[in-house]
Amino acid sequence: MNGLTEISLWQLAFGLVFVLAAGAASLARGLGLGRDLFFGTVRTFIQLFLLGYVLVFIFRSGQLAYVAAFYCMMIFFAVRIIRGRVKEKDVHFALPVFFTMFLSYIVVSATVTGVIVGATPWWRPEAFLPLAGMVVGNSMNALAITLERLFSDLRSRRDEVEMMLCLGATDREASKEIVSSAVRAGMIPSINSMMGVGVVFIPGMASGQILAGADPVMAVRYQIVVMLMLVGSTALGSFLTAHFIARRCFGKGMRLAFKGR
Amino acid sequence: MADSLLRVSGLSWTPPDGAGVHGGLRDVGFSADGGEFLLIAGPSGGGKTTLLRLLAGLEERSGGEIFLDGKETSALYPPVLRRTMALLPQTPTVTDDTILNNLLLPFSFKANADLRRPDDETLRALLAEFLLDGMDLQANARILSTGQRQRLCLIRSLVLEPRILLMDEPVSALDPESRSAVEEAAQRLCLSRGACVIFVSHAGFAPTLVSPRRLVLKDGTLREETA
Repeated sequence: MNGLTEISLWQLAFGLVFVLAAGAASLARGLGLGRDLFFGTVRTFIQLFLLGYVLVFIFRSGQLAYVAAFYCMMIFFAVRIIRGRVKEKDVHFALPVFFTMFLSYIVVSATVTGVIVGATPWWRPEAFLPLAGMVVGNSMNALAITLERLFSDLRSRRDEVEMMLCLGATDREASKEIVSSAVRAGMIPSINSMMGVGVVFIPGMASGQILAGADPVMAVRYQIVVMLMLVGSTALGSFLTAHFIARRCFGKGMRLAFKGR
Repeated sequence: MADSLLRVSGLSWTPPDGAGVHGGLRDVGFSADGGEFLLIAGPSGGGKTTLLRLLAGLEERSGGEIFLDGKETSALYPPVLRRTMALLPQTPTVTDDTILNNLLLPFSFKANADLRRPDDETLRALLAEFLLDGMDLQANARILSTGQRQRLCLIRSLVLEPRILLMDEPVSALDPESRSAVEEAAQRLCLSRGACVIFVSHAGFAPTLVSPRRLVLKDGTLREETA
């Protein structure tokens, strides 16, 4: 099967028609989206071109240090986005989340590249970075949902948690149900996407490979691996994060660290 | 001289910024022994609830010492401290489970594994004592009225056989029948089991079975009223 022809810069520029149409609609209806659309488009171009050049550089160098640095950078920005979404002031969670993401995603990504894809070495940039990028990007939302649920439930169900503490529960026992519920909440979008994949939508990776001329059956195999990898990384990331951060919500002496009542 | 069951000295607490809690506690000190009934009164916002939460280790103190049987409470394993010095908050909280499972909830925690789970007969006697006999133990505890919930919570604390019971305005939202059941039970706990009861009461409560020590907590300082 032949792949699609290369997209020239002129053809790429033609894609701006869609944004211009959206901008015109915004102007006509007074939606006030013009500025955001403009900067969003500029950032898309700059960030993705930059990504392309950086990836070319890393692929050519084949250095583990560059792969590690790029992986850490992806997680750093994911944590920044999570921190912006989860409005929690009393419990510092950014650094622990960084480490749980780093650990859980490297376990899953390395297993896929090293065992399933068979890349040698397992961190080979062409295999590891795209897969790790998908893991970080998809799991980021799951972790944000998990953390939001964890903090909001620990606050709203504070009486129940403290009641259990007063009856001799440890912090882990008192928050067990809330932690489970937070992990479940984070996992639901991944499980839902497994239900709808191939029926409701053709996922990005398979679409990309098919457009690039790959055999759809092979593209689907890759996509299945990716789906399973995403569920695994989301589960592991949500589980570790919820458990670890829940412990931090209780200060010394197994008392809730939230200020005020 | 033997240590008191509970000794508090120089206890202070500063509210965190922006926490919406006014005042604080300054240099609070008192001691209490088993079989004593301490009645703490004082205006709203005076720090009564905070004092009980500090004793139970639910708030972090800014300074001072709290000794239980001569041991600094910060050195005790929190679950053991809290089952020894049980706090009954103003708002009774039950889980979304049956009445029976709510009563036996403390026995699902590891730290209480050494405690004897009450048999059915003991539970029935306790339920009757607190006017909850005839209840369907398999019914969800959330269908109970506030008064019934408060009595259930009191039974749940009592099955842990605490040596000190901290009661934070436990009758303020109760009907007269529940109110007298809880007030009487608190006094009987003192008389028959030799426990120390620290009873915080906003409204006037005059114990009839015990002669209480009366303390007033106002503007963050505690003073004992002499008869």
